[in-house]
Formats: sequence, C-alpha cells, structure tokens
Amino acid sequence: MTDYTICIFTENTIGLLNRITIIFTRRRINIESLTVSETERKGVSRFTIVIKHESREEVEKLVRQIRKIVEVMAVFGYLNDEIVYNEIALFKVSTPLGSKPLDVETINKEHKAWVVYWGLDYVVIEKTGNDTEIVDFFTYINQYEILEFVRSGRVAVGKTEKGLVEYLPEAEWAYYL
Amino acid sequence: MEAIASITSDVIETTPSASPAAPTLINGSHALMKALVAEGVDTIFGYPGGAIMPVYDALYDYQEQLNHILVRHEQGAAHAAEGYARVTGRAGVCLVTSGPGATNLVTGIADALIDSTPMVCIVGQVAKKLLGTDAFQEADVMGVTMPITKWNYQITDADEVPEILSKAFYIAQSGRPGPVLIDITKSAQLELMTKPFVYERCRSMVSYRPRRIPKQEQVEAAARLINSAKRPYIFVGHGVQIAKAESELIAFAEKTGIPVATTLLGQSTISTDHPLYVGWLGMHGNYGSNVMTDNADVIIAIGMRFDDRVTGDASKYIKQAKVVHIEIDPSEIDKIIRADAPVVGDAKEALKALLPLVDPNDHTVWRNEFRKYDAIENEAITVPVLTSTEGKIRMGEVIDMLSKKTKGEAILVTDVGQHQMMSSRYYQFRKPNSLVTSGGMGTMGFALPAAFGAQVGAPDRQVVAIIGDGCFQMTLQELGTIVQNKQPVKAIILNNNFLGMVRQWQQLFHERRYSFVELQNPDFITIARGFGMSGQTCDERENLSDALDTMLNHDGPFLLEVIVEKEENVFPMVPAGASVSQIRLK
Ligand SMILES: Cc1ncc(C[n+]2csc(CCOP(=O)(O)OP(=O)(O)O)c2C)c(N)n1
Repeated sequence: MTDYTICIFTENTIGLLNRITIIFTRRRINIESLTVSETERKGVSRFTIVIKHESREEVEKLVRQIRKIVEVMAVFGYLNDEIVYNEIALFKVSTPLGSKPLDVETINKEHKAWVVYWGLDYVVIEKTGNDTEIVDFFTYINQYEILEFVRSGRVAVGKTEKGLVEYLPEAEWAYYL
Repeated sequence: MEAIASITSDVIETTPSASPAAPTLINGSHALMKALVAEGVDTIFGYPGGAIMPVYDALYDYQEQLNHILVRHEQGAAHAAEGYARVTGRAGVCLVTSGPGATNLVTGIADALIDSTPMVCIVGQVAKKLLGTDAFQEADVMGVTMPITKWNYQITDADEVPEILSKAFYIAQSGRPGPVLIDITKSAQLELMTKPFVYERCRSMVSYRPRRIPKQEQVEAAARLINSAKRPYIFVGHGVQIAKAESELIAFAEKTGIPVATTLLGQSTISTDHPLYVGWLGMHGNYGSNVMTDNADVIIAIGMRFDDRVTGDASKYIKQAKVVHIEIDPSEIDKIIRADAPVVGDAKEALKALLPLVDPNDHTVWRNEFRKYDAIENEAITVPVLTSTEGKIRMGEVIDMLSKKTKGEAILVTDVGQHQMMSSRYYQFRKPNSLVTSGGMGTMGFALPAAFGAQVGAPDRQVVAIIGDGCFQMTLQELGTIVQNKQPVKAIILNNNFLGMVRQWQQLFHERRYSFVELQNPDFITIARGFGMSGQTCDERENLSDALDTMLNHDGPFLLEVIVEKEENVFPMVPAGASVSQIRLK
C-alpha cells in the first residue's frame, strides 16, 4: 500500500463534496483523510484527500474520473516525496496538582510541540508534523493522561515551482480574483 | 455539438415595458420558458404535479413555441427524451414534478448517462423554506441523481434561471453528452426576478473544457502506428454518430482499406453492406468480427469504451495488438484497455486530422480472412433461421423480412433481451443513426417510449420498435401517449411468452432451471385497441409478410404481435467472463 495525496481544485458549490466522495465510494476506496478550504483564489476550493492504494494505475484512473466532474478544475495525484505536507494534532493533557510535571523542554525541543493553552488542571498541546511525528509525540506524551486527542486531515502543496496556474490560462483566473 | 437549432440571436432580453423607469420583471417560471425557447427547444416530454405547477402555468402561454407532450409515466418521459435526443443530436427535455415525479425519471437518467445521451431534466422541488423538512413530495433529488447525471443543480432563486439553464444545455450537449438535472424550488418558480431577463448561450466554463480538437502530436503518433500496421482493425462506437463523423469514418476506412466492426450502439454508422464492414462486436455480435480481434496487430477504437459486453474477459483481450484510442472523454483512455496512441478529441475532428496522414492501402488478404468466418456463421446460424419451415416463426425471420420491406432504412428502436440481439443480427442498416437501443444499462421498457420520442424527433423517417413481451409490459401505458399525439410509430412485439434472454441463460448456465421466467401475457391487441391503436396478431409463417405489409402501410400507429418460437436462443454468444475467442456458435 502506498500513500497518495490527491489535490482537487474546484468551484465552491453546494454538493460538490458528495459528487467527489461518490467516486471513491463506487470504487470502494477508503478515504484516510480529507481537508477542504478556499484557496488564494476567491471561489476556488482545494480538497486534499489522502488514500492508500496498491496500484498507481488505479489511482490515475480515479484522478481522471474526478477530473470529469463539471465543477472540478484540476486534479493532481502525488506521492509523499512530491509534496510538502503536514497535519496538526491537539492533545489535551491532564495536569492535576501533585502529578508529575510536564517536561516542557523535551516537548519543545525534541518534539517541536507547543503548549497553546493552560487550563486549571490540564494543558492543550499543539503538534504539527507528518503522521509519524505525530504518532511519536503521542507515544511520548502518553505517559501523562491524555484527556482528548484530535488530529486534522493532511494539508499539502506540491514541490513543483508553479501551482495550478500552470494548467489554466492566466486570463481565466481573472474571473476568480 | 454544433447541431443546435439556430436561434435568431445569442442574447435575448425581455421587452422593455412602456414606462422606461420600470422594466418588466418576470417570474422564475416565465424565465424558464424563455430560456427553453432561447435554446431552440421545440419539444418537452413531461408530467405535471404540485411542485411544478407554476411552470405548467407559464407553459400555457408558450404552447405555440414549445410543444409539450404529456406522457403516462415519468420513466416514459425520460426514454422518450432519449429517443428524441438520439435521433436529433439535441438534448431531450423532461419536465416533471418533485418527489415521485423525479424518482420515476431515475431509470431513464441513468440510461442516458451510460449511453452518452444529452438530456435536460427540469424537476420541481418544494419551496425553499421547506427544503430538508420532509415536506409533502419532497425527495432529495440532488442526492439521488448525483451519481447518474453529468451535472445537476438546484435553483432556489429566480435570478439564477438564465445562467443555470444555459449551462445545463451546454454541459448536456458538449463533450461527451449526458443528462443534466435542474431541480427548481416552487418559490423560485413563483418569485419575480430582480433584474430584466437576459439570456446568453453558454459557450465555455472555467472548470469544464472538453477537448474537441485533438493534439497534433497525438494524431501523428496514431497515424504512424496505423501506417505501420499489417492487420489493422477499426472498432466504431456510438461516439462516431454522436460526432456526426460517419462520412469521415468511411473516407478513413476506404483510404486505408481497414476492416470496420461496430459496437452495439455503433451499428448503422456504416451501411451493413459496405465492403469494409465485418460485423458487430461483443457477447452476441458476429463470429468473424469477434474471433478476428485476436489476429489484429493494431486496433483503432473510435468513440467506444471497451464495455465488458464487448471485451469479454478484459485481461485476455487484444493482448497482441497495439491500440489507437480516439475518445472525447479522457477518463475512458486506459480505463479498461491501455492505449498505445491515445487521441483525445471529437471523433470527427480526429478523423479529419488523421485522414491526410494515413497511407492508402487495401489489406486485401487480411480482409478476406474475415469472410471465411462469415461463411461459417451463415451456415451454422443465419441460413437455418431464415429458411426454417417448421415450428413457430423465428425472431430472425421477422427482422429479416422487416429489413427487406423497409429497405434497411427504418429507425429501429429496440428493447432489451433476445429480440434486441436478433434485431441487431438480422436488420441490414443502410442509413446512419438508425438503431436506438439501451446499450449500457440494458433497460427493459425502453423501446416503446423511446420509439415515440424518436418519431417526434425524426417525423420523416419510418420508426419501428421491436419489443419483447416482457419489456412491453414495463411501459405499455405509453401507447396512450402515442395515440394522443398521432405519431405513426410501428411496434412489433416478439412474443415468446418468456423472459427469453433470462431463460436462455438459465438453459445454458443453470441446467434449465427456469426460475420465474414464464409470463402469463394479456391480450396485447385488445390492450392496444383499448388505447385506440390498431393492431393484429400473426401466428403463422405464411401470414408474416402480409402482417408486416399491413403494419407498414397503416396510416398511423400500429401494434403487431408476432408469436415466435418459445425456446429459441441467440447465437453466437460469448459466455460472460469468457474471452471473445471462446465465442460459441451453439
Ligand atoms: C428493468 C429490467 N429488469 C430486468 C432486466 C433483466 N433482463 C434482461 S433481458 C430480460 C428478459 C426480457 O424478456 P422479453 O422482453 O420477453 O424479451 P426476450 O428476451 O424474450 O426477447 C430481463 C428480465 C432488465 N434488463 N431490465
């Protein structure tokens, strides 16, 4: 199984999420994570979808099926080494009076994680990184009591110099500026 | 597609009112009517109901421009629209109410998607403030039709009507054509637009840009492969007729001397008696055309998608051949069969570009190889069927005689089953665009309404529907539509008292365990008479010719029931999952 990150640029219309996920469902492909937000262009959304698959060929077919959706402007399928990517995780860790104090130095220096909120008897730590880094931190922080843990989907940008603009004539982007 | 009825101007505006200060503002329903007129729509197949009443009210004022046809069931509207679209190349238009009206369209929409048929369905929806409340006759039509439409959109605001309608027609009719559904809330139908109605035909969209003109380097690579071939073979799909590229295809085949086979939906693209035509491909296709796929070294697939009914077991299919795949839908390239030279573009444009680059040739030896299989097929199947003297009439006899009496010039609309395959086997097509059938979905009940739609779209042509006794009972209520609209559709029921195709499979692959395939049929002719249609039954071989003459000469619609052999099988046949070279003659 290989990780593929699929980036989809779309018009920002109602129901598009459904249209896109139907294509995965029909082919029985599980979505590992999904992130959607507006891009630097007004009215253009970017989906970042991570899947695991054995066959590159099947992923290419999937990409072509997605491209077929009328409101989809461009679709790219990437391998991990072709992108810069991250996830963000929040850990709510119990720190009652008298418990073992947090080793903030290790958290900061070794795990590049930051305490972003101090509650009365808990803290919230933010950790950004790829999934291995987040899992490593989870293992480390697990010695304290984790009250809540939440992790975002992946966000990613391709390593090539130009983004989407390369694929659509510049003039047409004017429509969205 | 260019074949859209011309309209006087691309932009139409509402007439300014007498007082210049107050422009005439119209409601969403009237805007819809104006949009349809601007698109050159002449016919609407529909069925009214609560959530589409304001549109029907507006339609009352537009009867001069828009011919509305009241069907008897919304599935009939969808298939009629498909029949209309298939013969005209223009989108068929359906107009129905919300909830059950919309869900009844679903089968026809799915059928249109898989057979690349342009269609615009306009569906009423509950008022905006009731959306999502399980209001009376509310169904999530957007959700239901998302996977079976090329595009769908919910209009909740009258101002959206012109833009969305123009997009709907553009999307339905361009690129790989398909069905589009517009769900319009009752509130949007009723409310006034806030600005004057202006209609601009959509010509392009940022996110949707089908490639019509293929890239020159792709065409050159394809030409090199074709010129290097020793045993090239052309496969023609529905895409060639959609692109109206029949004459380009023939010019290309004749210049290069390459034999031509078609898919089920590709039939009639080239006349059956053309010297280069070698038959149709697939499960019940011709013997030689299938077997010879294993001998070709280059296959030029045009506007076809390597459906599993064509390829049999795709893992064993044309492994020896290099493939040129000409297709307007890039997602079809490499989907089933890897293309060595893909050409993404409209079939007409691609063939035009290819023609000057290919070398003249005649491939006589290679072409003649096909003919020995024709002889085998003739001897094993065709001749015995056409010269039978015993037992009941055979389906092939009926189609063969019909073919001769209509000189191969009728539009044949077929339903799904044995009679469908027999129609393809025995009708000798002489004119393009003459077979309307449900290929990808295989939808029973398709033929009667589709024949009606085809007749509306092609009033000058003879339309004959070939229908099984099972299929007929799925949409027979459309006899009423045919009679009310005085369309001279001829329908032939090939009655074997069985769900014949299923029975055939049970016989061949389930040890004759005939599980629920025998039908107790009604008296079809009495039913036709009840609807006001003439008809007759033919049970004897010696009466067949007269019966067909009576039908064809009848002024107006006619139902002919032919009692055929109960347990006849369609051969040749590639058993499901087998490779095409394992095609069976019996
Ligand atoms: C709506 C629908 N239901 C079921 C089927 C499966 N099916 C395919 S062919 C067939 C039998 C058709 O029988 P009939 O109309 O009598 O035609 P025949 O095969 O006898 O010519 C059936 C049930 C189908 N294609 N469509």
